[in-house]
Amino acid sequence: MTEAFYITAEELAAKGFENTPDELMSARHLIYSSPATLNFNSPGAKGFGVKRAGLAIPGSVMLLVAPGCCGRNTALLNELGYNERFFYLLLDDTDIVTGRHLTKIPKACKEVCDSLDYTPTAVMICITCVDALLGTDMERVCRKCEEATNVPTLPAYMYALTREKRLPPMAGIRKSVYGLLKPQKRHGDRCNILGYFAPLNENCELYGLLSSVGVSTQELARCDTIESYHRLSQANFNLVINPEARYAAQDMEKRLGIPYIEINRFLRIDKIRNQYRLLGQAIGVEFDDAAYYENAKRKIESFREKYGQLSFAVGECVNADSFEMALALTEYGHKVSEIYGTVGERNFFYIKKLAELSPDTRIFSNLSPTMLNYRRMTHIDITIGSDALYYHPDLPNVPFDEEEQPFGYELAEDLMEQLSNALEKEGK
Amino acid sequence: MKKLLKFISPFAPDDSGACSVLYELGGITVICDAGGCAGNVCGFDEPRWFTKKSALFSAGLRDMDAILGRDDRLVAKLAKAQQQLEREFTAVVGTPVPAVIATDYKALERMAEKRTGVPCVTVSTDGTKLYDKGEEEAYLRLFKKFAVEAFPQEKGTAAVIGATPLDTGFTCADRIAEVIKAEGYSEVKCIGLDSGLDEIRRITRFEKIFVIAPSGIRAGAYLKESFGCDVQFHSCPLPADVTDKLSKLSPSGRTLVIHQQFTANGVRELLGGDVTCASFFMMDRSAAEEGDFHIADEADLAEKAAGFDHVIGDVSLRRALPDFKGEWTDLPHFAVSGRMF
Repeated sequence: MTEAFYITAEELAAKGFENTPDELMSARHLIYSSPATLNFNSPGAKGFGVKRAGLAIPGSVMLLVAPGCCGRNTALLNELGYNERFFYLLLDDTDIVTGRHLTKIPKACKEVCDSLDYTPTAVMICITCVDALLGTDMERVCRKCEEATNVPTLPAYMYALTREKRLPPMAGIRKSVYGLLKPQKRHGDRCNILGYFAPLNENCELYGLLSSVGVSTQELARCDTIESYHRLSQANFNLVINPEARYAAQDMEKRLGIPYIEINRFLRIDKIRNQYRLLGQAIGVEFDDAAYYENAKRKIESFREKYGQLSFAVGECVNADSFEMALALTEYGHKVSEIYGTVGERNFFYIKKLAELSPDTRIFSNLSPTMLNYRRMTHIDITIGSDALYYHPDLPNVPFDEEEQPFGYELAEDLMEQLSNALEKEGK
Repeated sequence: MKKLLKFISPFAPDDSGACSVLYELGGITVICDAGGCAGNVCGFDEPRWFTKKSALFSAGLRDMDAILGRDDRLVAKLAKAQQQLEREFTAVVGTPVPAVIATDYKALERMAEKRTGVPCVTVSTDGTKLYDKGEEEAYLRLFKKFAVEAFPQEKGTAAVIGATPLDTGFTCADRIAEVIKAEGYSEVKCIGLDSGLDEIRRITRFEKIFVIAPSGIRAGAYLKESFGCDVQFHSCPLPADVTDKLSKLSPSGRTLVIHQQFTANGVRELLGGDVTCASFFMMDRSAAEEGDFHIADEADLAEKAAGFDHVIGDVSLRRALPDFKGEWTDLPHFAVSGRMF
């Protein structure tokens, strides 16, 4: 039996992205649906998948038009109180071959709307791989539904088949949920934060920094009424903090005339400081982030002092880029023994840097079938990510995958605090 | 409107059922999907996922694989996985994607066997049917492929077909074995639950084969016809505490039990009195009593449950009966709500 496949950072950097081994490229092998990879495998499964994300518009409902298997795990969302907002039109074997279900959707929409004791703000029609293959024109279907119900209707494409395409499902749904916004007079002192379906942590410094220069922030996740949702189109600019929201921002620029600025999530505080400087330049202000920077720096240093050099295993089910996180931990004086992540063009830059500082770091792919045979072969003190916890249930772990999103210096501080708590819990 | 669900979530689909049967048999199982179906199976319909490892993979199909029908790529990936993991057999489970493009499973099976050198079982599920259909086909295919030899019968032994978590709510065979052993058997094996491929190969050694869910009926009939096995229906065992709780019930008026048919029958045996059994899943006429009925959908449930005073069934179904004023006793069904006992 083959041992779990890995490659060191040094070896991978030397090969270059174009020569990444097949075992790290999900398109070239079967995909191991280990507990670590469910986020990858199902665009509707955990956290904010397409289905839950599609209900981000306040007061909206969703009609899932699909074979029963596509809607099965929606029951998980019932616990979160979504069961009154989900409806299903189940397709049979004739539907999926002939596409005859398309004529039933407007009628189903009408029946759903009539069954409610309120008028929904929107009906999201969620379709899946079947309609991707049938080439369904959902814009047309949505128009038909609107005619039948007088309720705005938007498509939600849960096309797992197109995951690596230009518009993967999670980028498509980000575009859809801003689809009801109409052009209106923009306010020079407002910006939208685009990126996630949960808000940033309350104490993220981004709010304070923008507020200090007279810019108020709006987020879809903080819109609890349809009125507050519509105010999103009054923003002067969009601040994109997750590349998956780029397509939505481009669409808003085209439709609503709202330009966007893209920034990244880092754990390395020097990069965060630099990014705030550039953001300030872009909007013509200067942010005073010195106190935030110093505070984060102090926490990082005191963590290092208290616990010494630790060996980490870093997973990818975390609110960060696992390779950037590994690089940051290495720069902060720790060791990263193993990373479980998905190598891409975007994060290969971090791998090259990591190869210089920590050439022996082993890089695994959660998705490789060989991970079925994974055994710990290196020294690890603590793990980050629920996937890393799966491989090392006996070690202290910080899941770092909360719904509310960490960002900026606050991310660094939050991680240090959670790491300390996990180690203290273990009596270290 | 038919097939429109307003109150309940979809039940476990056929592909989940097939995977449930194959889960512990030690092969490589490939769900022929883009990833979402595998996520549903592993993340929701397979409660053993976090406790028992299985080589259950997604084919990771992409749109061009489906449009161009690139089965050769799937087989190449499967062969590579077999090279790495060295399993006794491989299995391919269908989903809506291969159904739309009319994948030829027989050809896929032959190609896979040729490339890997080990037997391959394909189950032509399409995600539109319910879990029991997938289980039924998986059991049948497995016995046809592997149970090819008649072994000498061993006294006091019993095998159980239909013991998946979706049907029984159990992730291990202990309770089922305990109940059957109490009926005079010294060795009890649940096919696919705490047992592997060998028990399928040597199924003919068992003195008795009990079928505890409708999904096992066709496989049982095949074994009876092909090898003369002694196959018998058996009510599906319940956890001891649930049995105790149900035994203490003294429902007045008409009682409706909703579950998989053989569990519902078991509850009726416990309760006695005016009890009707119903199921959203397969129902075998020979195991039904007069008045038992199949439930087609939500609207059908609302219509047929009217007039009953007491319902015993998964509490998630109650939402579909807003006008029901009687008593409800919760009896979880994993294939309905994803809840264990």
